[in-house]
Amino acid sequence: MALLSFERKYRVRGGTLIGGDLFDFWVGPFYVGFFGVTTAFFAILGTALIFYGAALGPTWNPWLISIAPPDLKYGLGFAPLREGGIWQIVTICAVGSFASWALREVEICRKLGIGYHVPFAFAVAIFAYVSLVVIRPMLLGAWGFGFPYGIFSHLDWVSNTGYQYLHFHYNPAHMLAVTFFFTTTLALALHGSLVLSATNPGKGKVVKTPEHEDTFFRDLIGYSVGTLGIHRVGLFLALSAGFWSAICIIISGPFWSRGWPEWWSWWLDLPIWRQ
Amino acid sequence: MGYQNIFTQVQVRAAPDMGVPMAPGSWSRDGKPFFSWLMGKIGEAQIGPFYLGRLGLASLVLGFIAFEIIGLNMWASVNWNPIQFARQLPWLALEPPSPKWGFTLIPPLAEGGWWIMAGFCMTTSLILWNVRIYVRAKALGLGTHTAWAFASALWLMIVLGFIRPMMMGSWSEAVPFGIFPHLDWTAAFSIRYGNLFYNPFHCLSIVFLYGSTLLFAMHGATILAVGRYGGEREIEQITNRGTASERAALFWRWTMGFNATMESIHRWAWWFAVLTTLTGGIGILLTGTVVDNWYLWAQDHGYAPSYPSTGVIDPATLPGVVK
Amino acid sequence: MNRLAFITAATGAVLLLSGCEVPVHTTEQTGYRGTGAQQVIRTSLETKLRANNVVPAPPYDLPKDEGGPRAATEYQNVKVLGDLSVDEFNYTMAAITAWIAPPEQGCNYCHNPENMASDAVYTKVVARRMLQMTRNINTNWTSHVQNVGVTCYTCHRGNAVPKYVWSETPDRFASARSIRGAKHGQNTPGQNSVALASLPYDPFTPYLLKANEIRLQGVSADRDGTHRVPIANAEGTYGLMMHMSNSLGVNCSYCHNANNFQNWSGSRPQRAVAWYGIRMVRDINNTYINSVRYIMPANRIGPMGDAYKTNCTTCHQGVYKPLYGVPMLNDYPGLRGPHPAVPAAATAAPPPPAVKTAAAATQVAG
Repeated sequence: MALLSFERKYRVRGGTLIGGDLFDFWVGPFYVGFFGVTTAFFAILGTALIFYGAALGPTWNPWLISIAPPDLKYGLGFAPLREGGIWQIVTICAVGSFASWALREVEICRKLGIGYHVPFAFAVAIFAYVSLVVIRPMLLGAWGFGFPYGIFSHLDWVSNTGYQYLHFHYNPAHMLAVTFFFTTTLALALHGSLVLSATNPGKGKVVKTPEHEDTFFRDLIGYSVGTLGIHRVGLFLALSAGFWSAICIIISGPFWSRGWPEWWSWWLDLPIWRQ
Repeated sequence: MGYQNIFTQVQVRAAPDMGVPMAPGSWSRDGKPFFSWLMGKIGEAQIGPFYLGRLGLASLVLGFIAFEIIGLNMWASVNWNPIQFARQLPWLALEPPSPKWGFTLIPPLAEGGWWIMAGFCMTTSLILWNVRIYVRAKALGLGTHTAWAFASALWLMIVLGFIRPMMMGSWSEAVPFGIFPHLDWTAAFSIRYGNLFYNPFHCLSIVFLYGSTLLFAMHGATILAVGRYGGEREIEQITNRGTASERAALFWRWTMGFNATMESIHRWAWWFAVLTTLTGGIGILLTGTVVDNWYLWAQDHGYAPSYPSTGVIDPATLPGVVK
Repeated sequence: MNRLAFITAATGAVLLLSGCEVPVHTTEQTGYRGTGAQQVIRTSLETKLRANNVVPAPPYDLPKDEGGPRAATEYQNVKVLGDLSVDEFNYTMAAITAWIAPPEQGCNYCHNPENMASDAVYTKVVARRMLQMTRNINTNWTSHVQNVGVTCYTCHRGNAVPKYVWSETPDRFASARSIRGAKHGQNTPGQNSVALASLPYDPFTPYLLKANEIRLQGVSADRDGTHRVPIANAEGTYGLMMHMSNSLGVNCSYCHNANNFQNWSGSRPQRAVAWYGIRMVRDINNTYINSVRYIMPANRIGPMGDAYKTNCTTCHQGVYKPLYGVPMLNDYPGLRGPHPAVPAAATAAPPPPAVKTAAAATQVAG
C-alpha cells in the first residue's frame, strides 16, 4: 500500500471534525475523512457538468472549452442550464469542494498534531475565488459578473473587466497585490537558493550551517531574517498577494465605478498643494 | 486559542553573531551590530554587521548615480519646484529617447541620453551586485544558487531595457523610469502587440508567478505548522530527517497524494521563481521581433476563443468613404 | 500601546473607506455573457446626469410655414437661413439667443441694435459660420448624429463659449537641449483630457485636428517588417480612447471586445458611429472653427493663439448620447438643412445611412 518508509507510525485514528471513525481511512496515499467524501462529490459533479457544458459547446479543444456565466438580465436568480445555469452549479460545486478540501486539511492537521497554517492560507485563496464569483456579483446584482471557466476565455474576461475602469494598473489595491506577488517570488528565489546553497555547497565540500546562511545575508544586506522568520515573511507576502487581489476586484464596480486613474485625484487635491 | 507561531514571544539577547570566518584577503565586516525588538518579533533581531567590499562599493555607487539621475531629471521636469516634485511624483518620468533617434548610442542628454545613462548605471550596478552575491557565497563555502537565480531576474530586466530595443532598432521601445508611466508602458505594450495574454510565454510566466506565490504560501505555512517540532531547522532536517519533515511530507501526501522532501521543496521553489522571469524574458523578446500581433498568432495556432459576430463592418473599407 | 494601535488602524480604515462609493449601481451588458463586457455607473451619478441634461422648451410654438415671404427677401444680409419663412427665422433667432447669448445682452450679443443686418460685431460672423456648421453636421454627418441631430444647444447649453473645449498646450520645452520643465507632453497629473493618467495629455491635436493614424495593431500575426509602429503611438491612441470613454461616461467595452481591440466583427455598432464621429470632429475643427479664428478677440483664443476647438466632451458632456438622445432638432427644422423651395407639409427627416453590417452588405450585394 505505497507507504513511505516512516509513514506507518503516523497512521493513527482520530483528529476528525465530523463522522468519527466512519470515514477515517486512506485510499492509497490519500486521506479520506468525511470531507474527502464531500470533496469527491462536489468535484465529480462539477467536473461532469463541465464536460456536459463542453459537449454542448462547439469544441473539445481544452484551450477553448468555456463555461460562461448567465446574461446580466437574470440578475441573482437561476438561469436556464444552457444559458449560464451550468456555470452556476459548477460554481456551487467549486465552493463546496474548495471548502471541503480546506476542512479535510484541518482534519489531517489534527491527526498529525501540526498547526492549521496550511488550511488557513488556503482559506485566503478561497476568499479570493469567492470574491470574484460570489461577493462582487452579489454587490453588483447579477451572477453574470463572474468569470467564465475556460483557459483563454477567462483571460478575455480579465481584459474587458480591467478596461471597464479604463486603466486597471492605477487601482491602488491592484498595485499592492502585484507588488506582493513580485516580492513573494523574489523572497522564494532567495529562500530556495539559500537553503540549497548551504546543503549543496559543491563537489567535495561539507554541508554548511544556519550560521553560514545568516552570515551570507548579513554580509550582503546587513540583515538576516533567520530560518523561522523567512517562513513567516514568505507566508505573509503570499497571503497578502491573494488578499489584496480579492480587495482590488471587490472594490472595482461596487465601490468605484469610474476610471482608476481618476481615483488618484484625492492626492492631487490635498489641501497643502491643491491647485 | 494557543500559540500560532506567528510572532516570537520571548526574545533572547546575547553577544551579536559576528559571522562565520570568510576567505582571507577580503575586506572586513563593518558596523557594530545592534538589536531591533520589532524585527525580533518576526525574525532575527540582530541588524548588522555588513560586508562592503570592492564590488559592493562599486555597485552601490553606480546604483546611487542611477537613482540620482532619475530623480533629478524628474525634479527638473517640474522646474525644480519641490512642492510640485512631491505632488506630481507618481506621474513623473525619465523617458527613453523618442522613436526618431532609433538606436543611436548617445542621443542628446535631454532627448533620452539621461535615460540611457541611468539605465546603464542601474544595469551595471545590478550585475556587479550579482557578482558580489557569487563571490560572497564562494567566500563562505556556499553554493552559488542565489547568484544564478538573480541572473534570471537580470535576464528579464536586460531584455526589457536593452536586448529587445536593440533588436527592434529603437530605444523608444524601452520602459520609462516612473511609477505611473511604466504602467502606461505596460498597457501600451500589450495594446500594441495584440494582447499579451495570448503570448504563450506570458502564460507560462504568470503560471510560475502565481505558482511561486502558491508554493511560498504552502511552504511557509507548512514550516510554521511544524514549528513545534523544529521544522524551521531545514538544513538539519535535510541531513537528518526528523519528525518535523516527516509530518510536513505526510500532510501533503495525505492531502494531494504526493509530497516533496525538506530539500526538494526548495528545488521546486527555486525553479518556479527562476522560471517566472526566464519565461517572461523570452516572451518579451519574441514580441515585435518575431510576432507582431499575439491574438492573430493565437488564431493562426487555433487557441483564440470566438464569440458571436456582431456583423459590424470597418467603415474604412466601405466604398466612397472619406477616411 | 494596543489602544493607540487600534485608534490608528480605525482612523486609517475610515480615511480609506471614505473614498468609496455607495454600492448602488446601474449596469448594462454590452457583449457576450462572461466576456466582462459591462457598463457600471453609480446610480446617483446617473440621476445627476439626467437632471443636468434636460432639453429646454422652445421659445414658443413653431409657426406653421404658410408659404409667405422668405427671410432672405424680408431682411438684409441673411446668408444661411434665408430659405426660412420670416416667422420661422425669428423663432430660430429667439431660440439661439436663449441658448447662447448672456441674458443681459440678448440680441445685442451678436447684433448692432441700430442696424441688425450689420456684421460689425464679430460674434455675428462666427454665428453665421456656426449655422453653416450645424446644417453641415445634420445633413452630411448623419453617420454620427443619426436621427437625433444637433442644435446650438448641444454644445453651448446656455453659454456663449461651450463649457468643454480645448486649445493647444504650450510647448513645455525651453529648448530641445534642456530638461527644465520638459515633460514631452505627458507624465503630468490632473489631465482630465486623459482621465488623469500619465499618458500624453493632448490627444486632440494629433487625432481630432490633424488626421494622424489612430490604428496601431498589426494585421498579421508574424512580423513582416512593414508594420513599424512604435509603442509611443499606442500611448497616444490610448489617451484618445480615455478621452472618448470619459466624454461618453462609458468604458472600453461599450465599443470594443478588449481581447482583440482592432477586430470590427467583435466590436459593437457604436464603434463605427464613433469612427464617423472622429472624422466629424476633424471637419468641425478644421473647416469651421479654424476658419473664423481670424476674427476672434484675445479673450476667445487659447494660450498658443489658436481657437478653442471641439472634442467629444463638447457635445456628449459625460453621456453616451448628448442630452440622452432627445431629438431636439425636430423643433428647429431650420437647423437641419436648406428648406425645399415649396414649403411642404412637415416631413420626417430622411433616414440616416445605417451603420454598415455584414448582413446589410450581403443584402445589397444579393
